[in-house]
Formats: sequence, C-alpha cells, structure tokens
Amino acid sequence: MIGPSHLHNHSEAVVSTQSTGNFIKHTKVQVAKISPDLTESVAKEELQQSCDNFFRENIYLAGKSITEKAVERVVDGDTILIYKKSQLILHILLEAKARNKNFRVMVVDSRPDLSGVQSCERLTAAGIPCSYVYINSCTYVMKKVTKVMLAADALLANGYVLGPVGTALIGLISSTYNKPVIVCCETYKFSERVQTDSILYNELADPDSMLKTLNEEDTPVSNWRDCPNTRLVNLVYDTTPPALVSIVITEIAELPCTSAPVVLRRGAVKM
Amino acid sequence: QWYQRRVTGERRSYVSVVKTINVFRDLICTAEWVTGRELIKIVKCYCKYLPLSQSNETDVSNVVRRILKIIREESVGPEATNSADGISAFFKTDIKPCNLGRSDLQDNILNSIVELLAELDTSKSNIVNMALEHIHSNERILTYGHSNTIRDFLLYGRKARDFEVIVCESGPSLKGHKMAAELSEGGIKTTVIADSAAFAIIHAVNKVIIGTHTIMADGALRATNGVHQVAMAAKFFSVPVIVCAPLYKLSPTHLCSYDPDAFNKVIGPEKMLNFSNANLHSKVLISNPDFDYVPSDLIELFITNTGGHAPSYLYRIISELYHPEDYDLDNMCVEDVEDEMAT
Repeated sequence: MIGPSHLHNHSEAVVSTQSTGNFIKHTKVQVAKISPDLTESVAKEELQQSCDNFFRENIYLAGKSITEKAVERVVDGDTILIYKKSQLILHILLEAKARNKNFRVMVVDSRPDLSGVQSCERLTAAGIPCSYVYINSCTYVMKKVTKVMLAADALLANGYVLGPVGTALIGLISSTYNKPVIVCCETYKFSERVQTDSILYNELADPDSMLKTLNEEDTPVSNWRDCPNTRLVNLVYDTTPPALVSIVITEIAELPCTSAPVVLRRGAVKM
Repeated sequence: QWYQRRVTGERRSYVSVVKTINVFRDLICTAEWVTGRELIKIVKCYCKYLPLSQSNETDVSNVVRRILKIIREESVGPEATNSADGISAFFKTDIKPCNLGRSDLQDNILNSIVELLAELDTSKSNIVNMALEHIHSNERILTYGHSNTIRDFLLYGRKARDFEVIVCESGPSLKGHKMAAELSEGGIKTTVIADSAAFAIIHAVNKVIIGTHTIMADGALRATNGVHQVAMAAKFFSVPVIVCAPLYKLSPTHLCSYDPDAFNKVIGPEKMLNFSNANLHSKVLISNPDFDYVPSDLIELFITNTGGHAPSYLYRIISELYHPEDYDLDNMCVEDVEDEMAT
C-alpha cells in the first residue's frame, strides 16, 4: 500500500521549488488521510480528485481572483512594466485589454533565457502596444513607466519575494524612481522559510546556456571548462526585500509583503 | 583624412586623443596666425571639422580644451600665470598681447603639447600602479563589462595579491565575456554572471571597480549601459563603487536633459532580438541604449592619473585643466564677436 514515505522518493526527483513543495506536502497529507479499507483503484481516484481540487482551487480559481483584483489597478494611459514571461501577469494584461483599457506594456527581458520575447508575442497578438528592453536598460526606460507588475515564485515568511533572477533589481530601480511595484502571487506559493539573501538557497541552471548568443557565435569564454580560473554562474532565483515592494495581490486579499506569516497561519489552520 | 577612420582596439580612447593632438600640432605649425587670440579662433573653427558634433565623443573635445588652455597660458606669458593663484585670470577674458613673436610663441606651445603627450602616455600606468592600495587579499571584486584600464588595474593587483573577480556579462554586447577571458588568462579567478544577478550577489562582494566612457563635471558618469543599476544595488548594500579613469575623460559638461539625443546613443537591436523574430521587430519598440547615466552620489572614489579624488573635488580639477571660455567649444569670446560685427 502506498504511503507518504513512498511519495518522498518521487518528490525528491521533482524540481523542488517552494510552490511545488507545498503541493507535495498537501498530497502527502491526503495520502495519509485515505482510509485503509478502500480498494486501490478507488483510493487512486480519490487522490486524483484531491489533486484536481488543489489545482482548481489554488491555481485556476486563485488566478482568476487575482486577475479580477489586479485588472482594477490598470487604468487608461498606463505604461506597465513586466519582467520576462509569467502566465499570471500575461493573463491579467490580456484581461485588461479585453475590458477595453488603453495601456502600453514595457517588457524587460534578460539573458540567458530571454523568455520576454514570448511575452511580446502574446501581447502584440492581442493588440497591446509593447516595448522591449534588456534589464541593463531598465533605468533608461523607468521614467516612462507608471506601474510595475511582477510575478513571484514564492513569498517567504519574512516578507521577501522569491522571483526569477533580476526581479530584485527591477524592484530596486522602481522604488528609486517611485513607481508602484505590484507583486501577484497565489497563496499556495507562500512559504515558511525565511531568507535574507539570494545566495544561501538558490538554484543553478545550466551554465552553458549563458554562452548562447543570438547569432550562434562563440564568446571568448566558450572554452570555460578548459580554463581553471573561469566559472560561469547562472542563478535562477533572487530575493527582493519587502521594502522594495508596494503591494502583494493574492486571491484572498491585497496585502503588504510583511503580512505573509498571517496568510501562512491561516492556511495552517485550514489544513 | 584621419577623422574619417574609426579608431578601435587597445587603448582606443588614448589613441584617438593622441591623433587629435597631432592634428592640432600640424595646424598650429601650418596655419596663418600672429597672436594667441587668432590661433584660438582658428583652432575653434577647425573643431567644426572634427566629430565633436556627436556629444558622445568627449575625449577628443576634452583634449582640444587642454590645447586651448595651453595656448592661452603661453600667450599671456609666465608672469600672469604665476600671479595670485590665477584668480585674476578668471576675471580677464581677453588675452593680453604678449611680447613674444610667432616663432617663440609657437615653440612654447609645441613644448607644452609635448609635455601633455607625455602626461597622457603615462596616464594609464599611473592609474594601474595604484592597484595595490585599493585591492587587498581574499577580496571579491565586482566589475561590469569590458575596460582595458580595469583589466590592467586588476592584473597588476594580481601580482601581489590573491583575490576573486566577478564580471557582469553586460548584455547584449557581452563584453563581460571578453573581460573574463582576459582576467582568467592573467591568473585571476573569475566568475561570469548575468546582469540580472547583480543584486543577488552584490552583498557578498567587497567593492565594485568600474571604468567609464566619460566623467561629467559634477562627478556623474556616462558609462556602459547597465552600470547605473549595479551602482544602485551597491549603494543599497553599502558596497563602495570605485571608478578608474584618466583625466582626459573628465568633461566640463553637465547632464542637461535625459533626452536620448542629448546624452545617450541608441544602437541597433540586432543583438537583442535577431531577425528570426522579424515579425516582432515591426510591432515592438526595441531600445538598445549604449550609455547609462550614473549620478555622482552613487560613486565613492575616482582613481585618476593624478591620484584618488572624491566626486566632490572634480570641480577644482576642471578649473585647473580647462579655461571657462572653452567649456562650450562653439563659443566665441566677446572681442571676437565684436570683431565679426565690425567687419
């Protein structure tokens, strides 16, 4: 009979970001709750049902709720800055366009994955005027921006926002130029972990992807593995201090960053 | 014609400055003039032929200002320049006719120009030799993109100290990769990171050492695109930002407007979004600015060929290097305007 410990081995294999970590915790609890006299197929069905419920409540419906709240923040004449590609943020912008709001989007992208290009494609397909810059030019364009909307990969218990690397820089530049920073985050992404810097707990992506150039040229460090003195570090996440974020929009409320432990407490009581 | 050839490669800015000086040396020898004032007028008129209209080519215009200052000093003669801290010189915009004939004046000017060339020649080695005062063992230094001066500064420091360097790759040109390759060949442990990771790692860095394209009159920088946000992140974590640059990059101009044409230069976006995404090129406004404005309050120290200076001291250096009438090279002095109007 499958128990929670069996799941443990499989969950280690899954890339354990904080959000999937919460889902795995939820699933383990469900597995433990299943009564032993059910047959295997019925038990499997129940588990699948609970997984689907988790997805529906915490991801799909939460996304819709966040969209409702965030769309009200978009006003005519806005220039909204977004960073790379996020399903939730794109959904918000497309919904705002569907409600006939008149706004521009500034897409900020960064190497090595350059996922902002896909954001551009989806936004222009919907008819939203876009601009595109690399993160180095963020200070150059920040004057024309009215709002900044960022997505988070996790919200830590001390209010720090874990996001794709570069989010902290954008938060810093935006708050220096006094632009509101809106972070959209579902509650399943909230985490009990605390962190004050980005290095202690992070992930390293494939360093060779940093060598990829658009015209397939070699860069001077292409042979970095042969050079003992050269290292390429491709960080995946970084943490943004709560002072740089204006508001976090979740499906239950719009909160300041520092209210993260309140939401966690509420979630623990529910479970 | 020399000014039509682009100068590239090692010590690019120094080479273009030397070429400028040689052009003006020839001009001083061959043009028709009798007094210092006439020569200054000729030099200022000749400036129009140089690529100075692009406000970005400040090295060249700075060295022209130095030459003009030399001409002014030699025309006035040694007595006036030694008088009372030169304060009287500020109030006298006209140049007293000197007793020197053209050939003597020309010799004096050319000798001073030779001294100027010697000063420029040693400017880089003066900066590099200060490396040991600013780098200590087991430090982690962050640098941005590629700079010949910084590379030599760090390699000189490596001779006596053991330290690590983190290089931001400086997209989309990826000049940071070249810097990392050169540093690691010189025996320095180098790590290349993406520009977006600057905030993530900067708290673990001891200092930020960068080069610049131009130093503005108030101590601000016109530097490579992306330096401003690294400096902001450094300020957030109180990491000192040190700028190494020779004094011919110090320009008596201020930032008047954030307009791209006045300050910045936007280059082609093919390195950001290549033509396989051609359908996006027509629908999306892509910006690829070349420079970045870094305000002076983010900078801790300037290391120049005359030593280390705080940003607040640069105004004094400007008053020593350049004459106020030459700050705007298009400007003609009052007597010349009266002359023009009389004829």
